[in-house]
Amino acid sequence: MALHPAVSQSMLVARPSRLGLFLGVSVGGHGLLLVFGLLYSHLTAGPRVDLNPPVIKATLVRQGKPRDPKLLPRKEQPPPPPKEVKAPPAPPAEAPKPVEKAAIPVPVAAPQPKPAPQKGEASGEDRRKRLFGAFDRTAKQAEPEELEGAEDGDPDGDSATAEGERYYALLSTQVRRNYDVAKSIPDAERLYLKAQVQMRLGRAGEVLETRLTSSSGNDLFDSAVLTAVKRASPFSPPPDHLRDALQKQGVVLEFRP
Amino acid sequence: MKALLLSLLLLPLSALAQAPVIQISGANFRPLPLAVPAPLSVDEGGKKLANDFDEPFLFDLRASGLFQVLDRASFTADPKEGVTAGSINFSRWADVGAESIVKVQLGAEGGTLRGELRLFNVGTGREDFKASHAVPTSEPRQLAHFLADALYRHLTREPSPFLSRITFVRKAGSNRDIFVADWDGTNARALTSGGIHLLPALGPDGLVAYTSYRKGRPDLYAQRPGEEASALVQNGQMATGVAFSPDGKRIAYALSQGESTQLYVANADGSAPKRLTDTPFGINSSPSWSPDGKRIAFVSNRGGSPQIYVMNADGSNPRRLTFQGNYNQTPDWSPRGDLIAFTARDERNAFDLFSVEVETGKITRLTQDQGNNEEPVFSPNGRLILFTSTRDGTPRLYVMTKEGTNQLPLPMDKGGGLTPDWAP
Repeated sequence: MALHPAVSQSMLVARPSRLGLFLGVSVGGHGLLLVFGLLYSHLTAGPRVDLNPPVIKATLVRQGKPRDPKLLPRKEQPPPPPKEVKAPPAPPAEAPKPVEKAAIPVPVAAPQPKPAPQKGEASGEDRRKRLFGAFDRTAKQAEPEELEGAEDGDPDGDSATAEGERYYALLSTQVRRNYDVAKSIPDAERLYLKAQVQMRLGRAGEVLETRLTSSSGNDLFDSAVLTAVKRASPFSPPPDHLRDALQKQGVVLEFRP
Repeated sequence: MKALLLSLLLLPLSALAQAPVIQISGANFRPLPLAVPAPLSVDEGGKKLANDFDEPFLFDLRASGLFQVLDRASFTADPKEGVTAGSINFSRWADVGAESIVKVQLGAEGGTLRGELRLFNVGTGREDFKASHAVPTSEPRQLAHFLADALYRHLTREPSPFLSRITFVRKAGSNRDIFVADWDGTNARALTSGGIHLLPALGPDGLVAYTSYRKGRPDLYAQRPGEEASALVQNGQMATGVAFSPDGKRIAYALSQGESTQLYVANADGSAPKRLTDTPFGINSSPSWSPDGKRIAFVSNRGGSPQIYVMNADGSNPRRLTFQGNYNQTPDWSPRGDLIAFTARDERNAFDLFSVEVETGKITRLTQDQGNNEEPVFSPNGRLILFTSTRDGTPRLYVMTKEGTNQLPLPMDKGGGLTPDWAP
């Protein structure tokens, strides 16, 4: 039965159309794709990447004859030299330090040797050392070679140049240095202790607020981590791009033994 | 593609996230700075016994290696400050570096001395723990050990060594007698009187086994304090160096026949002996059981020089453990299982103490440059090591942590001591 053309071409009359099917297939297809994508990424996901770079313990071995491996070990003597060796070169280095500390990375070649020799240590020996230091080092090999790094680097650091968010690394280094925990905490408990401290920092790096947001369940551990933060403060001023975030949301320090 | 998809999915999540999280680990475990003010007395009787209580109490806490007991001279708090959290001025204690405070109150009534201990956390200003105990007034030291043990258990969740017993040999003229004492070497009582008695071993139930020359050659005997000795091994050969298995049901010892010395295992009464080692001319001696009783550490010179070996308790599968030094002896297996402490003579001809990891064979030095140090034995909880040292002239007993730190002489009388053993 043929319809009247006016009817068959009217826009008001429902006509069989593929639009519904198309929409259905399209939505279904997208959904499937999404599910596939999620499944795929879930199944192929590698081990979770720990964003905290692993710390490599590196110590410089002093010069000397290696100990016969057949002999019994000796206790490491507490290293006596550092204090005495470092004392003389300290005064000239002292002056530029405060400035350098505030401004963060760029390692500045200290242009210090020239300024008037201080009278206390103006001996010829000292002056000679300062002038010909470079020659002396190659000639005598008296001191162990310095590792490359940064002025305010971590002795446990494993990289010569900063990677990741440098300021956060600085925070964690400074806190970890004060991270002392009572030896009486049982070994078994050490495996699962975890405490979180939220802290907000001001423009100058001062601590505005610390809050134990998640307790470990062990009072001694909780007070140890709070003490660590307290002793580590104040921190150096945060860089511009972090200033607001650190003041408003702060940063959460998650402590594990 | 995957990364893009993930980041698109995670974008809204990261917008919600608040503060970045920095993970911090690698804590420096160090002794807890602890303030222990002099005990308070509620009456005259308590005051009289306060010193007798105080001295062993402080020694227990100091020797445990877990506390840094702060110098009382530095305290700024009122010495009459109360024993409740409300009456304590915590900032004064924080100023002197204390992280916890232990307060003890003593009272004596009739023949009973009563002590109450409280532990406060300086950071939180709260009382964390309380314990009390009563003893006859004649035993203030026991009260000290008991309260120190309660504190130790609360913090570490494991028994302290303070209530355990030790045994050792004391030299007097040509005699060598066996003594049994409290863990700090005090309250020592002789088990034998006169003659030569050596190498005592303390069983878990207070039984002491030792080598005795009462019949002219070395035999093994077992004895309880206050009772007569009974023969364990007496078969015409020289028997020495007995060790109880951890459950106390078996003994291991060495028997010498001609030019060789072999190890045997028998029941605790000496019955059903079984030979474990079989080296035609060598010496195998100084057995020490692993905490599970399945293995035995011992000394053998089968490789040319005395070295520490480990074998199964049935004698199978012997394995050399030490490859450094040329004179290693007197092994003692830690009740924690991971370490064996031993005596070794180093290249300077000094006897010193070392520990070796059972799994890896890694050797750590524990003593150095302080006289001769010998005969290590672990505390029943494995955290401390008791040993003999000649650093002050005559051989005396010392205690240190299993890492070799915090070396302290036992507060015992001048008689000194040799070849100690230690049991719960």
